[in-house]
Amino acid sequence: MTAHSLFFYFFSTMAVFSAIMVTISRNTVYSVFFLILVFVSISTLFIMIGAEFLGMIMLIVYVGAVAVLFLFVVMMLNVTRQPIKFSKKKGIINNISVGLVVGIIIFLELIIAVGGWKYKDAFVPLSSIDPYLNISNTHALGNVLYTDYIHLFQISGMILLVAMIGAITLTFSRRENIKRQSYFKQIQRHKESSISLVEVESEKGVKIDD
Amino acid sequence: MIEIGLGHYLTLSAIIFCIGIVGIFLNRRNVIIILMSIELILLSVNINLVSFSIFLQDLVGQIFTMFILTVAAAEAAVGLAIIVIYYKNKGSINVEQISSLKG
Amino acid sequence: MEYAIVLLPLISSIISGFFGKKIGDKYCLLLASTLVGISAILSLIIFYKVLTEDYFVNSLFFNWISSGNFNVNWSIYIDPLTSVMLVVVTLISTIIHFYSIGYMSHDPHKPRFIAYLSLFTFAMLTLVTADNFLQLFFGWEGVGLCSYLLIGFWYKKPSANAAAIKAFLVNRVGDFGFAIGIFLIFFFYGTVNYDEVFQKTPLLIQKEIIFLGIEFNLITLVCLLLFIGAMGKSAQIFLHTWLPDAMEGPTPVSALIHAATMVTAGVFLVIRCSPIFEYSQIALNVVTVVGMTTAFFAATIALVQNDIKKIVAYSTCSQLGYMFLAAGIGAYNVAIFHLFTHAFFKALLFLGSGCVIHSFNEQQDIRSMGGVWKKIPYTYALMIIGTLALTGFPLLSGYYSKDAIIEFAYLKGNTIGYYGAFVGIFTALLTSVYSWRLIFKTFHGKYNNKESNLNSIKESPLIMLMPSCLLAIGAIFAGLAFKEIFIGSNGSEFWGSSILFLNAIQHNHPPFWFVSITPVIVILAIPISYYLFVENEKILKYFIEKNQFLYNFLLRKWYFDELYNFIFVEPIKRIGLFFWKKGDINTIDRYGPDGLSKFIKNISDKAVHFQSGHLYHYAFVMLVGLSILLTYLILY
Repeated sequence: MTAHSLFFYFFSTMAVFSAIMVTISRNTVYSVFFLILVFVSISTLFIMIGAEFLGMIMLIVYVGAVAVLFLFVVMMLNVTRQPIKFSKKKGIINNISVGLVVGIIIFLELIIAVGGWKYKDAFVPLSSIDPYLNISNTHALGNVLYTDYIHLFQISGMILLVAMIGAITLTFSRRENIKRQSYFKQIQRHKESSISLVEVESEKGVKIDD
Repeated sequence: MIEIGLGHYLTLSAIIFCIGIVGIFLNRRNVIIILMSIELILLSVNINLVSFSIFLQDLVGQIFTMFILTVAAAEAAVGLAIIVIYYKNKGSINVEQISSLKG
Repeated sequence: MEYAIVLLPLISSIISGFFGKKIGDKYCLLLASTLVGISAILSLIIFYKVLTEDYFVNSLFFNWISSGNFNVNWSIYIDPLTSVMLVVVTLISTIIHFYSIGYMSHDPHKPRFIAYLSLFTFAMLTLVTADNFLQLFFGWEGVGLCSYLLIGFWYKKPSANAAAIKAFLVNRVGDFGFAIGIFLIFFFYGTVNYDEVFQKTPLLIQKEIIFLGIEFNLITLVCLLLFIGAMGKSAQIFLHTWLPDAMEGPTPVSALIHAATMVTAGVFLVIRCSPIFEYSQIALNVVTVVGMTTAFFAATIALVQNDIKKIVAYSTCSQLGYMFLAAGIGAYNVAIFHLFTHAFFKALLFLGSGCVIHSFNEQQDIRSMGGVWKKIPYTYALMIIGTLALTGFPLLSGYYSKDAIIEFAYLKGNTIGYYGAFVGIFTALLTSVYSWRLIFKTFHGKYNNKESNLNSIKESPLIMLMPSCLLAIGAIFAGLAFKEIFIGSNGSEFWGSSILFLNAIQHNHPPFWFVSITPVIVILAIPISYYLFVENEKILKYFIEKNQFLYNFLLRKWYFDELYNFIFVEPIKRIGLFFWKKGDINTIDRYGPDGLSKFIKNISDKAVHFQSGHLYHYAFVMLVGLSILLTYLILY
């Protein structure tokens, strides 16, 4: 149990620290790296708690795809060269202080809201499968996902499809000064060049080859 | 303190949530930081769901977390595409210069 | 027939007013004059009927108000008093209608003028044929309105507009007292119809009421209030300031309204309410004192005025004072008789002045006239006749009526009566002096006009002289013809119940030496004034230089206008300015529309900063809203 708590504190502190660094570090690439660090530590927390499938999925999807995507865009847009401007207002009431105050207030309220809630007894578990039934987490998830939540599964596939089409549509641009060939156009025959209507006099015939 | 219960995970989730929110309007640099803060918020929601799922012995939380993961990835992709296009059109993604909605 | 008398002028007014442009000026004027002329002929017939057969009628026109105890009818009430007034009003109105065809020939707005004249006639007829105070008040206000419209007829002139407003406002002061009088009558008598009021008056002699904290005898209070209305309409002292300024209107207007009809409405009111007035000696004394003071005061001012129409206006004011003097001492029939004759010669004087002005090309100052009596003989003759009648030269109409007033004042016997007689004689002297001054300065002496050549002074057209001749005939003979009927020995038979005399009319005469004072003075005044104004003007100049203060005092109309300006006009203007600047603009506008719109604009100017265009500001505001919502949910 102490190992559990030790690991928990270690990883959670790292997560919090990395999250803070995401927002306040000067270099945008460093922010992306710290974001990756946050994801990794949270994923280890998931693994620790028993939802290993989700932790792995998070590593693969979040870190491997999303964060790399961020990095691509950061590199492409040269945002590292952007100068940083601190808040213009001097004095006690400036942006940072107000923002921090509001953030702290929200945090406290969340704590109060959750803390005053008696949770466990009111709930009826929806898919109560005893997790200690000697199947892995992945197996249990699979049991439920493809049967009870199949519709949501398919829809999430659609969402991904739409996101992909949207991203491509937004950023696709044809370069004008490249030689390309379109074999459709090359093989095509047009009506004007291939057919001609001729009025034929009777018993005279039509000459085709000229 | 030693015994890690649901409350600790919820507190962690709340902290990361607040950091994400504060990060949205405290950055003075560029829009990508905003997108990253949104990812943090979604992450905190994920932590919340998974911890509830584990502590309530209910798999629905994890199922839902997977969907949120999916959607977060899709949204990050489209958001970055928009930023790329915006950069191409306006030449800068400094948040202080994005104010054409000014009225 | 009675309906026709009252309605014909109304019809002519409507036709001229609305269709005048369509039917053309000439036809419009002729039509209007003819309609009013028919009205005059009908009223002569009525008068004859009243005279011979004791014709009396109260024909109901329609039922106007009938609410609970308050019943008021619109009706035509013909009794001897009314018939006399009908003759005066319609006859003079017809003559003026015909006169103005000639006088206003250069004016582009003739139909409007005629419409107003006919409307005025209608209102005056409504006033005199009323059988209740409400219809009388309607007619009262109607003539006030027409007076305003006609004085301000040339509305492009700012002085005319100001004079019209002044007339209306001063009249309004009188009307206010009059209205309170009618309210009191209704409150205590329960009705406003003449018959019932006059019957109930003897029962209410002793009644005392508390009005504004002071205890009054009801009858006295009612009479005083009614008299205030009469003071306003008849330009008695204190409420006289509008009459000289009313000369801004065209001369026919002055002749009709301010000589013959409207200003006599006040006298008519007092005489009509003689059943009430007879029971209040205080009110009668007030009437007498006001009347004689006005007569004296107006005559003194007329001595030094230089505008021909203003002299005649002050003369009107003075003669009205005589009428009230007669009414106050109880000789109502003499007052009506003087009203009757005065209408003729005063209208004649005004029309003659109009002819003079016309001949001199709109010149009105008598210092710029003189020496033309050979060039405009007819006008000269008319003016001489009018002046003789006004001053009371023996055998002309004014002699009978004015001397009757002085005689009855003397016969009254008490101090007020003697005082009234003395003032009357002295004022008669002043009257002759200023009237002859007018004649001599206008027609005799040197030709003083700097603008026109002597050869360009021409006689007025016939259309202007003929009506004046009719009036001249009336001025000469009306007194002699009607003396016996009105104030003679069978006077009480004629008047019947229209005038109440508590004490019977006296028929004995004052001593011969007294009776002959006035005519002697009047006849002697002619050569004296000829000497002073034509032969030897230096005596007057010397006198004026020695008494500059007295001269200025009279020239400036006893400083009444300045006094009223100081007491009433300037403070009210200041109050108005205060309310406008501070009250309206600063308070109501500032907190009302202007304030609200500025306030909203301020708020929106500040609120615009929320729309900074920066995304993180929007997100921050959303966040703050979220936290507030969370707080609310947590706390409640």
